[in-house]
Amino acid sequence: MALPSPVIREAQPKDIEQAADLVVRLKRLNEEFDSMLKVHSDAIDHARKYLQEAIQSQRSVVLVADAKGKIVGLVKGDLKDRPFYEPAIEGSIIEFYVLPEYRRRKLGDELINEAIVKLRKKGAQIITAEFPTQNMIAVNFYNKLGFRPMFGIYGKSVD
Amino acid sequence: MIPRVPIRDLSDFSIYYTPGVAAVSRAIHEKPDLVFEYTNRWNTIAIVTDGSRVLGLGNIGPEASLPVMEGKALIFKYLGAVDAFPHPIRVQDVEEFVNAVEMMEPAFGGINLEDISSPKCFEILERLRNRLEIPVWHDDQQGTAGVTYAALVNALHLTSRKLGSTRIVFFGSGAANLAAARLVIHAGCDPGDIFLVDTKGILHPERADMDQLLLKNRWKYDLAIRTNRERITGGLKEALKGADVLIAASQPDPTLVKPEWVASMNSDPIVFALANPVPEIWPEDATKAGAKIVATGRSDFANQVNNSLLFPAVFRGILDVRGRTVTDDMVVSAAEALAKFARDRGLREDYIIPTMEEWEVFPHVARVVGEKAVELNLARKKMSGSEIYEHALTMIKRARNSLKALVEAGLISAPPNGGN
Repeated sequence: MALPSPVIREAQPKDIEQAADLVVRLKRLNEEFDSMLKVHSDAIDHARKYLQEAIQSQRSVVLVADAKGKIVGLVKGDLKDRPFYEPAIEGSIIEFYVLPEYRRRKLGDELINEAIVKLRKKGAQIITAEFPTQNMIAVNFYNKLGFRPMFGIYGKSVD
Repeated sequence: MIPRVPIRDLSDFSIYYTPGVAAVSRAIHEKPDLVFEYTNRWNTIAIVTDGSRVLGLGNIGPEASLPVMEGKALIFKYLGAVDAFPHPIRVQDVEEFVNAVEMMEPAFGGINLEDISSPKCFEILERLRNRLEIPVWHDDQQGTAGVTYAALVNALHLTSRKLGSTRIVFFGSGAANLAAARLVIHAGCDPGDIFLVDTKGILHPERADMDQLLLKNRWKYDLAIRTNRERITGGLKEALKGADVLIAASQPDPTLVKPEWVASMNSDPIVFALANPVPEIWPEDATKAGAKIVATGRSDFANQVNNSLLFPAVFRGILDVRGRTVTDDMVVSAAEALAKFARDRGLREDYIIPTMEEWEVFPHVARVVGEKAVELNLARKKMSGSEIYEHALTMIKRARNSLKALVEAGLISAPPNGGN
């Protein structure tokens, strides 16, 4: 049974329910890499609000992969100012998820490339991506797309 | 192991050992594959474990695993005439394990992996199969899968079913069932008609723990993506509705499969309850609930699905032709030969697979494995099917007779109190 080919488009309010599920799946994946990324029980409610705001914001890009009405992939990028550095505007990819069945068919590459196009149009001069340090799948993915490690966030629990 | 050469007096050692042996070493140095002809490497295998999942005892470590490996070696000798060397190793991780076995390779004609925890056993088998030039076998995967498939073939035959249009539910997702599901798919079953059930329910491509599986058990992850076309959710109860076959390899608990769930299966359902020592449902209860054919892992019930029906014969065949690997195709062929043997003797609902007493089946299975290796150009020694059969038969008979002769001569003592 062949899966339908997804179409990449900008997210709309009607997508929020399905897209929020993908955001929470991404957070749960992150949780696998570090106990300091433990997902809150209200994460799904927060994800809905978060996407609602992002869709309306001029400083965000939210794209979804739509397979005949089913949202199977998502990418969200934000514009960030860099007052101390040149170039001054960064497009930061902070949410990126593809459902397991739709992986290994270059849909991830397409989502990221499309997000880069959109972020550039909004003024981004460099593109960054954030994910847990231990996520080697993400490391390999971004390396292949020409990204390199640029900044590290280290954490420790002080509870 | 018994010496193959007579020692008449100490002067014989100048032939078997130095200086005579140097010529043999030189020849092997020139042409390394001669080691399979000039030494006993061809018929010597290592039974390797890290002791991380021994029987139902868990991670008891390499030392405590040794008696189990010795027992396995005895089965290899008695049923397959294979000289198997029990070889627990003290290693911590997958890479170390693989490296250790690779270092041992020159001494052995094959490797039998034993009692390694899941899912690391998948990683180890996969890497060793790629890296070694001798067959590598993990009984908890290929052995169990092969024997299960053999029993399944005949159960389907008896109930007029075909693999292409049969709904199969696998209950339990340890090494045995993951390997069995993969083998059944390899043999031609549509993965969409397969349903895997674990402690969290039925696997499907969008289950909430998919990414966890991706990181921790990619074999299960891959099956989750390919199986369960209809996306049914729930547990074993939901999975069994309308199913043709249940293959349970989970926990020893006779209450895990409820009779009413068996009753909800398709007509003439097939139930394999393979947990040892206690099946997931007692055969009597399964039959009362409507099961047409029931198999377990136990010898005191009909239809025992037992690895020992396969592994001695698979090794006999692959070692005879000095094979370079054991492929899934060979496992399928071996299983089909096992199934055919039972068919030729006359299938019944309580006889879908040969019993352990029918040792005559072993040379037949050895033959198809060796033939397949020759056919796939994976054999160092080309032999015909009938040559492999005759050789296997002779080897197995000789092993049995040697052990008997040793007991009769008093060199192997009888068990105390006559074994009672």
